[in-house]
Amino acid sequence: MLREARGLWMSSGTLSSRPALKERLAIALLATAALLLLGLAGCARQPAPVMEMSDEAVPGLIEVELKGPASLPGKVLDQEEVEDDEFGDLFSRELQVELQVDPADEAATLAQLRARPDVIWAEPVTRLQALWLPDDPDFAKQWHLKAAGAEAAWDIARGEGVTVAVIDTGIYPVDDLDPSRIVKGYNFVGRNEDARDDHAHGTHVAGTIAQSTGNGKGVAGMAPQARLMPLKVLTAFGSGTSHDIAEAIRWAVDHGARVLNLSLGGGMRSLAMESAVHYARRKGAIVVCAAGNSGGRGVSFPAAYRDAFAVSAAGPKGFAAPYTSYGPQVRLAAPGGDKTLGEEAGVLQQTLAEGSTTEAAYRWFQGTSMAAPHVAGAAALIMSLGVSAPAAVEDLLTATARRAPESDGEKYGAGLLDAAAAVRRATVWWGLWRLLFALGGALVAVAHARRSGERIKTRGLFWAGIGVGAGALAMLAPLGAERLPFLALLALPPAAWPQRLLGAGSFAGYIGWSALVPFLIALPARAAAKPIDNGFGALAAGLSFGWAGALLHAALWRTVDLPWMPAFLMPLWLLIGAVVAWSAGRGLLAREPLR
Amino acid sequence: MKVTGTIERRDLEGGIWQLVADDGKRYTLLGGAKEMKAGARVEVEGTLDEGFGIGMAGPQLRVASVRKL
Repeated sequence: MLREARGLWMSSGTLSSRPALKERLAIALLATAALLLLGLAGCARQPAPVMEMSDEAVPGLIEVELKGPASLPGKVLDQEEVEDDEFGDLFSRELQVELQVDPADEAATLAQLRARPDVIWAEPVTRLQALWLPDDPDFAKQWHLKAAGAEAAWDIARGEGVTVAVIDTGIYPVDDLDPSRIVKGYNFVGRNEDARDDHAHGTHVAGTIAQSTGNGKGVAGMAPQARLMPLKVLTAFGSGTSHDIAEAIRWAVDHGARVLNLSLGGGMRSLAMESAVHYARRKGAIVVCAAGNSGGRGVSFPAAYRDAFAVSAAGPKGFAAPYTSYGPQVRLAAPGGDKTLGEEAGVLQQTLAEGSTTEAAYRWFQGTSMAAPHVAGAAALIMSLGVSAPAAVEDLLTATARRAPESDGEKYGAGLLDAAAAVRRATVWWGLWRLLFALGGALVAVAHARRSGERIKTRGLFWAGIGVGAGALAMLAPLGAERLPFLALLALPPAAWPQRLLGAGSFAGYIGWSALVPFLIALPARAAAKPIDNGFGALAAGLSFGWAGALLHAALWRTVDLPWMPAFLMPLWLLIGAVVAWSAGRGLLAREPLR
Repeated sequence: MKVTGTIERRDLEGGIWQLVADDGKRYTLLGGAKEMKAGARVEVEGTLDEGFGIGMAGPQLRVASVRKL
């Protein structure tokens, strides 16, 4: 079959060319499906019961199947009734129990259990996927990061290259914050450059966004590689003016922040602040705001502004926290803690010790202020995947939200934040679309070329070029792109690389999100008499089609934002880029050397 | 303005002081933390602050003085 296909490919007749095209379409679709399946396999990760990193047995954990309820050594972490293995029995139900025992006695306990007549089997719990888990000792207590989907999201993105402005009481450089990730900020209260926290609120919020993670110390944050911009607008009492806050919003965007976190609010509508929020969004920033803590209907400002992204708070079980404000403006619910269920049902981060302005402590806070930074961190993760349009980030967050335990749109908005699902959609599913568009464009061009008697000699390079240009490797991102720095770039199409490396607000974005690169690569290739006959020409042609697919996807899904480009012109710009990139590839296939 | 009511410590945003006025209205208190005691009946003199803050649970009252009742 393959030989036949090759024969047809070599022939130049128009009639016989049809089956070959089908054949290649089938191969391309199979390859795409394989990539997609691999990527989805990486998505199957479940929250782990313990946080140690291991690819073998998890120390101190034993799984036992019992004939019925019985007393067991150690602590029961989880238990589940299962059907009888042999008969799928209607009468006897068996019990599978996960036990936590002292790791030192694990072997002895296992032997003991296996000797018991009521034990069907007992085995050490093993971890099947050796994916990255942070070694921060108190990460296990941060139920809220797990609930927000941070763990699985970290295999794909960590917020690299995105600056998050914390418009709050300031940020104190506590030891579990990486000082190199804190960029220059401003103190709008004291009108100076010392934006250190003197309250504890802002530092706690900053911790949720980007606490040092994987540093063997303390706790973790949602987007550990993101940069933090401290903007102090609230005094040591935790209050501030609309004027200072509005000014800080504009300052943040003008200084490169693409995610703004406002864990503050008031009951008065301020036109100055509203226009600042509008400005921020127009300039390509997402403005995440706490809905308020009134416990009643009525979202506070700035969360209630049209251009803000209002976040309500949920507790560990996913139910709306009793204190959260709600209303039609709420877009999403995120973990904010619910201490009616105990102190440890709060949000744990490092901040200033109570009453101190220099000493650090790990503290459990609750409030919608704690919910908003989970979303801000998730937005940073998404933006680090080359999604620079704030509307696209918002849509991803809401479209992938988990179902809330109650159907109440005013309390939960679209549902509960799931950062992992959001970054997966931006890599696996969007990768598939880009590749499909690229392949579609390539096949049309190939069919054209065949009719005029052209053929590609180095087809491997041609298809590889398509895959690379379309960012098809992004579909593999859930397998652990972020664990290897060079792989992290492959989690996004090359068109997004300049923005990732130089920031979403950089003009360098125009290099990637245009046909410039494929066009420049196609130029030297076209100098050859038969461009497509050499490997470089084939690669350049493939890359052009791949790039065209990425640009077309960005135009249709409106994922990209470029400086000074009005939002309504953006799809047109990308569409023109896609057509030019496609033409560059088509020119190479059509054997048109430069004259 | 003068408001009479009961002081409440609320575990929100790391801890805020509120005054539950006799008319049922809630004020988030700014300043005067040293004189605050949860459950105390007080008369607070201060100015209403319509600004923004971390409390987000009712208007803010900037405390000038607290008188125990």
